[in-house]
Amino acid sequence: MKKGIKQAGAATLAIIASVGVAQAAENATNEELDQRIRILERKIEIDKEAAEAKAKDSATVNVSDKGVSIKKGDNEFKFNALVQLDARTYLDDSRAQNDTFTFRRIRPTFQGSVGKLIGYRLTPEFATNNATIVDAYIDLKFDPAYTLRAGKVKGPTGLERLQGGSAITFIERGLPTELVPNRDLGIQLQGDVLSNTLNYTLGYYNGTADGRDGGLVDTDNRKEVAGRLFAEPFKNDGGVLEKLGVGIAASTGTQLGNSTANSAASAVPTGYRSPSQRSFFAYETNVTANGDHTRISPQAYFHNGPFGLLTEYVQSKQEFTRGTGNPTVDVKSTAWQVATSYVITGEDIGYKGLSKVAQPFTVGGEGWGAFEVAARYGELEVDDAAFAGIAAVRLADPDAQSKKASSWTVGVNWYLNNNVKLALNYTNTSFDGGKAGGADRDDDKTVFSRLQLNF
Amino acid sequence: MRIIKTAIAAAALALPLFAHAASYELLNVSYDPTRELYKEFNEAFAKQYKAKTGDTVTIKQSHGGSGKQARAVVDGLQADVVTLALAGDVDSIATTSKLLPKDWQKRLPEGSAPYTSTIVFLVRAGNPKGIKDWDDLAKPGVSVITPNPKTSGGAQWNYLAAWEFAKRKYGGDAKGKEFVEKLYKNVPVLDTGARGSTTTFVQRGIGDVFISWENEAFLAKKEFGEDKFQIIVPSLSILAQPTVSVVDKVVDKKGTRKVAEAYLQYLYSEEGQDIAGRNFYRPTGAAAKAKYGSQFPKIELFTIDQAFGGWTKAKKDHFSDGGTFDQIYLKN
Repeated sequence: MKKGIKQAGAATLAIIASVGVAQAAENATNEELDQRIRILERKIEIDKEAAEAKAKDSATVNVSDKGVSIKKGDNEFKFNALVQLDARTYLDDSRAQNDTFTFRRIRPTFQGSVGKLIGYRLTPEFATNNATIVDAYIDLKFDPAYTLRAGKVKGPTGLERLQGGSAITFIERGLPTELVPNRDLGIQLQGDVLSNTLNYTLGYYNGTADGRDGGLVDTDNRKEVAGRLFAEPFKNDGGVLEKLGVGIAASTGTQLGNSTANSAASAVPTGYRSPSQRSFFAYETNVTANGDHTRISPQAYFHNGPFGLLTEYVQSKQEFTRGTGNPTVDVKSTAWQVATSYVITGEDIGYKGLSKVAQPFTVGGEGWGAFEVAARYGELEVDDAAFAGIAAVRLADPDAQSKKASSWTVGVNWYLNNNVKLALNYTNTSFDGGKAGGADRDDDKTVFSRLQLNF
Repeated sequence: MRIIKTAIAAAALALPLFAHAASYELLNVSYDPTRELYKEFNEAFAKQYKAKTGDTVTIKQSHGGSGKQARAVVDGLQADVVTLALAGDVDSIATTSKLLPKDWQKRLPEGSAPYTSTIVFLVRAGNPKGIKDWDDLAKPGVSVITPNPKTSGGAQWNYLAAWEFAKRKYGGDAKGKEFVEKLYKNVPVLDTGARGSTTTFVQRGIGDVFISWENEAFLAKKEFGEDKFQIIVPSLSILAQPTVSVVDKVVDKKGTRKVAEAYLQYLYSEEGQDIAGRNFYRPTGAAAKAKYGSQFPKIELFTIDQAFGGWTKAKKDHFSDGGTFDQIYLKN
């Protein structure tokens, strides 16, 4: 019995001992396994870091709804495009004007940077019979506070003129744009200062006629200086006034030369147009620019959530002479506009357009895109001095040219997504004068629609 | 009117030049563990330079394995100054890309090494594997953490210190190579830089011993817990001399030579040396040496020139393609 008990006890001890040894062995294995797992994880981590570092050194190609970009370090190349197809209907056919489909803009844009210092942009226009260059400039980016831009650029005077072609609220810009330079060749210093609350531009250009591009060469050897100060004082505050901008722009220069005969480089306006793009005022063909040309434009915008408001006033004062031996006449033309818009689907709107479509249009889905309604009123008035004098010396014929245009537009924009916009505008422009015997020219009544693709 | 217009245009064009004159930006390309040192030093220098000259200096940092950083500069990284782990890496910039003269080391005191360091061992609390000296690192079952000598300056110091220990103890270079080969069999992960190895050992919990820059070992204890790690001082180690230089062709192109030179000279100033000491680098200036000397252990140190005939020879023999490291590591 005792022997049996002893044997059983020895067997139990042996089992306990063997279990203890096995446990110890298992513990040692677990530690090793833990280290092996940690080592493997670390190796994967190191490989990942190496791959990320390599990717950083490699060019990154990005294709998105904003276009195509290739970036490596500080070098970048971007490609974007803007295509606008319009259907234009003139309801009042008393003056010959074709109802037509037309391409308003076909503009690929190539832009980018070469290192930190140099930026560039090249935008040709293919919507005209002969391809032209819209923007072509080089930036020397010394600092966000001072960048030097040289080439063919938008003049800094007009607020709506400075808005991108894809971001404008209406199909055509308003009347004040007729009095400011479009694009011109020159050099300008620009930048954002005071914590980006003040933007400035000071430029030196060939000089342009009102509302038009400058020529490829300066035919009068006279230059134009233009500048703009635009403040967004509450930009960094994040409140209701965050997107309030107020500014003033001006240009001054001397312009000499003939008029419509050489329209590309003309110093004389080839005609002021209504927002329906019909000319309502033009100088006589032998009128020449003959002296100072100054412009001044107070301007402002305000955006808050889906609400937008833009207003500007322009005064353009220029000296003209008709023919030879006649007196020089100082003509002061003015224009202003107030434009407002509201995105009824609630998306934020800003000076650079709609932020992002919340629910893009999908076939068979719930999204309908974004809808915006807009209205605008503006006037452009030509100085009486332009019509003064006898027929042989006056600058413009009151029986053919209108003294004033008053225009209102209502519109709706349907943003199917961030790249496609459908726009519909009704515009009515009434005129003072422009017909024989001092009668008023017939109103322009137009329905314009647009299909816009930009990426 | 035309004169006024021309004057306005000229002023506009000249404005950036005037405005730019009072503001400088430097890029300091450094090695892995100096992040904390230069963060503190850059602030001090910028403040001092502003007070002295009125000019604003912004210093950008780039960190990584010293060898890798040197190659980046050769490949075009626009470093105004390099503050690398070893003279050999600065030499390689001078010889390969000719961005600075070959005698660059003579331009600043102490052979352009404003502070020094050495190599020690960091082990886990209680030193579970009983690590005491280099011999213990080559024993079976000991897991050793050290970075890749192909990319890390610190790793080259580690490698050469181990080699010299074995050479002296067992007699000759053949024994040194044999010892280092055994040691590297115990290395499970090769990080590209010293800071990566710190992460591996301290944060990922891998390995029994980390062959570390002395300053990095002190910093790891300070940052991650005095009670979690301990420093083991080997019987022999190497005098590590991180070196600094202006990159001549870059500063001349950027117009930053004056401020770049002032930046490096300030490393030798009383404040610069004090910052080095505070960050556990061994200062070379007398005042800082006296102030911080007691925090560093006494170790028998040898120099690269004494043991390996200088960096040019050491790099060629050990770390070039086909050198001893390739021979032992590729074999493993």
